[in-house]
Amino acid sequence: MTDDQVTDDAKPTDPNNQAQQIWQSQPVEDIKMSADVIRQRAGRFERKISRRNLRESITSLLVIVVFCYFFATAPGILFRVTWTLFIAGMIWIIIQLRLKGTPKTMPAAMGNSSSVEFFRAELERQRDLVKSVWLWYLAPMVPGYFALNLACIVISPRPPRWGSLALIDLIFVAVFLGVWMLNQRAARCLQRTIDELNAS
Amino acid sequence: MSAIETIPAAGFTQDGLYQDAAATYGPALERLARAYEADPDIRRDLLQDIHVALWRSFESFDGRCSVRTWMYRVAHNIGASHVLRQRRSKSQALVGLEELENLPDAGSGQQAADRSHALDRLLNLIQLLKPLDRHVILSYLEGLDAASIGEITGLSPGNVATKIHRIKAMLARQFQQGGSEQ
Repeated sequence: MTDDQVTDDAKPTDPNNQAQQIWQSQPVEDIKMSADVIRQRAGRFERKISRRNLRESITSLLVIVVFCYFFATAPGILFRVTWTLFIAGMIWIIIQLRLKGTPKTMPAAMGNSSSVEFFRAELERQRDLVKSVWLWYLAPMVPGYFALNLACIVISPRPPRWGSLALIDLIFVAVFLGVWMLNQRAARCLQRTIDELNAS
Repeated sequence: MSAIETIPAAGFTQDGLYQDAAATYGPALERLARAYEADPDIRRDLLQDIHVALWRSFESFDGRCSVRTWMYRVAHNIGASHVLRQRRSKSQALVGLEELENLPDAGSGQQAADRSHALDRLLNLIQLLKPLDRHVILSYLEGLDAASIGEITGLSPGNVATKIHRIKAMLARQFQQGGSEQ
């Protein structure tokens, strides 16, 4: 490549513009990174992502193991169905988090996308994720919770304590509603930003 | 076509493209990182992330745009992602150029005349902006013309012109007084 192919022509378009001069003449450290250092850092970055994924997998696995323990020690078929539903719900959430939670934009795509395209895609991804939180994060736990309630009432060795059960249900519903409403608000904020972007 | 717009011929290696771009645009990347992150330690990390992303991106550089356009897109998109992440953790409210116009003028002329103070003030203003407006003002301050800014950002020429007009008015209001007393 010849020098002039990437020559910086970032000279002030208006020499009298004080702000441009101040900006361009600010002291810089002129940090240099050799290709080897870059490779090492890229490798570190990928290892960091792998470790994070491994951490998340182990945490999810531990939760599933705990659910499996409850399943194995469950006193009746209805409790076993309950824990099976919870395990299935957990697996569904983990898969969805993996599929939707990670930005898909790689550096190559960044070079091919203008800022507007990139920014819009990222905002839309985040909006869709929070807007559909009930579908992939909340709903998968609901069948297990209903089954647990039913099991407690029908086959629990002790007579059901209706007051305690109602209180737990109330807390459960409040938490679910709270999470859903917070996420809907976040989705509206993101949509406003997307609308501003579309108008530009 | 200016020299900078020249598309490199096929056959350039990923390392070669990166090294040329880093050598040419290294200072611009540092200034860009400064505009996206105020904390020096986090900024250093951000700058290194930009360099890594740039190097990785050149693996699939196909010459459909100039190296400069590619480089600024990658760098600004990494910066914008950083702002989005920081915004979630810091609950920082960012504003558009229109809202920035309503900010009070730079203090006294003497204060504004001080170069270091002026740079700090400029950085403070930039760091208040939403990513896209931040991108436009940075490109303007780097001396890019409206057509290049449009190509990099994806904004329409009319929109770029409007934003640059706002930027010029805002900068003139913030810095003219100091400039005239220098």
